[in-house]
Amino acid sequence: MPGTATTHHGFSQESFQSFLANRREPAWLLAQRREAWAAFEELPFPDRTLEEWMRTDIRGFRLDQFSLPNLPSPAGRGAGGEGEGRRQDALTLTLSRPTSGRCPERGLPPALLTQGVELSGRAVSADSQIDEACLDPELAEQGVLFGSLDHLVAEHGDRLQPYLFSAVNYRVDKFAALHAACWSGGLVLYVPRGVVIERPLHMLSALSPGGVDLSHALIVLEEGAEAALLAETASRDAAAAGLHCGAIEIHVGLRARLRYVNLQNWGTGVWHFAHQRALVDKDASLQWTIGALGSRLAKVNQHVALVGPGANVEVNGVMFTEGKQHLSYHTLQHHQAPHCTSDLLYKGALQDKSRLVWRGMIKVDRDAQQTDGYQRDDNLILSEDARADSIPGLEIEADDVKCSHGATAGRVDDEQVFYTCCRGLTRREAVRMIVTGFFQQVFDRIPIASVRHALGAAIGRRVREYD
Amino acid sequence: MADFVRVCKTSDIPDPGMATFEVDDRFVVVFHMDGGFYAIEDACTHDGGPLGNGILDGFQIICPRHGAHFDIRTGQALTMPAVRGTPAHEVKIEGDDVWVKVQEE
Repeated sequence: MPGTATTHHGFSQESFQSFLANRREPAWLLAQRREAWAAFEELPFPDRTLEEWMRTDIRGFRLDQFSLPNLPSPAGRGAGGEGEGRRQDALTLTLSRPTSGRCPERGLPPALLTQGVELSGRAVSADSQIDEACLDPELAEQGVLFGSLDHLVAEHGDRLQPYLFSAVNYRVDKFAALHAACWSGGLVLYVPRGVVIERPLHMLSALSPGGVDLSHALIVLEEGAEAALLAETASRDAAAAGLHCGAIEIHVGLRARLRYVNLQNWGTGVWHFAHQRALVDKDASLQWTIGALGSRLAKVNQHVALVGPGANVEVNGVMFTEGKQHLSYHTLQHHQAPHCTSDLLYKGALQDKSRLVWRGMIKVDRDAQQTDGYQRDDNLILSEDARADSIPGLEIEADDVKCSHGATAGRVDDEQVFYTCCRGLTRREAVRMIVTGFFQQVFDRIPIASVRHALGAAIGRRVREYD
Repeated sequence: MADFVRVCKTSDIPDPGMATFEVDDRFVVVFHMDGGFYAIEDACTHDGGPLGNGILDGFQIICPRHGAHFDIRTGQALTMPAVRGTPAHEVKIEGDDVWVKVQEE
């Protein structure tokens, strides 16, 4: 790996100073990091007395088991050196033709979302450092930025500074503050006004055993722009420990259209903490699909804010948990402007002793008349000891809206299994078919075939046989 | 297979009293009551909440969230809303030390 440097264990003041010294970033960014670090030091770790954390036990989490990704910033490598040359070559690599999206190099886990998909660009990150980013040169000529946030925030700070941490508030909890202080690597997708990207872009983030990923994703579509981004995570070792403490910020400008798929597929030893928020402007459209298959424990805040009249948001969620996994997703559909539509559909299946928590809120401001908001969470419990908690909520201040929600939890119907087995299938095949059918409603909403197939196959592989 | 792990000294927990410990990646509440030591999983089977923050009433621990009672000697659920017992773990005293062996899952 290029550019490795001395590391200090833990997240101490000393290691933070060392981290900053290695970055050599613009003054405004360093100031932002220092402010966030002060918030990190001030804030307590959340505990189970808080409603949001009541069902999520992080007592076993030890931050000092992990280290800051103490890598020199590519922006600071102005003085030459071997690391700089290799890095720069990788970052400026462009595509002369569409890429298949396969990433077999450097022993990285294979990408699941891009089978058979022609891409406009792709980026590969390992342990919070972008190893490679490439983009169709025609798009680069049109002003599209795609690649390492480390690199691009220094080079295009004038364009990116107004957006960085404008959607996500890093003061909300200790993890958000830690991320804002120490983010490293991460991805930028910036699509200028009116530019339409026909083929999807892809991002793969990988973790090594014991690795840390503090990546920040910043996605900005200006007025009338269109793009589709497929992002996924993976671990080199299926069970090794790791830490992801990240954030995603999405800005969908006037009449812009974004399709964003985010598959969390870390190994089962990874702690995953994330704050994600999208701002969707007037007559703009966002389709945000998340897949949640991996991690030991995940605590995710996925928020969408409909800030301009006529904005439309569709949120899809596909979750499958097993073993002792604990995944906790907290969603907010915040209607701030009139005539907006939001539609959330989460579906989860659980086996073994795993647990899924979903806590969703539709919030409608006083001025957001003619809102149409919906949220639904369905869970299929495949074993005796699995558990799902669905907690929908509405908070409505306007008086001319249509908002509703629903939640279900149930087991696989024995009669369906019996009927399917009568057609010559084994019990496991029958259950797998029923589980796949359960997810079909959400798969039908995903227009990218490779994503549907990847999620369906990943879930199918995980279903075990139960009596 | 789990083995006994030393968690504290007998004098660290008053009688009656309780304390929570991490043993083999799990959280366990150790009770000291009427001269005996007992240990159960630090999880209410109703909603997974921590029993270690509850109220000790004789040989019963009362979950602080919704009031379910569990027998600290056996982990048995005694009242609604809990209907399933929580795992009880083996405890032994050697000298002044309290040792716990967590029940296999």
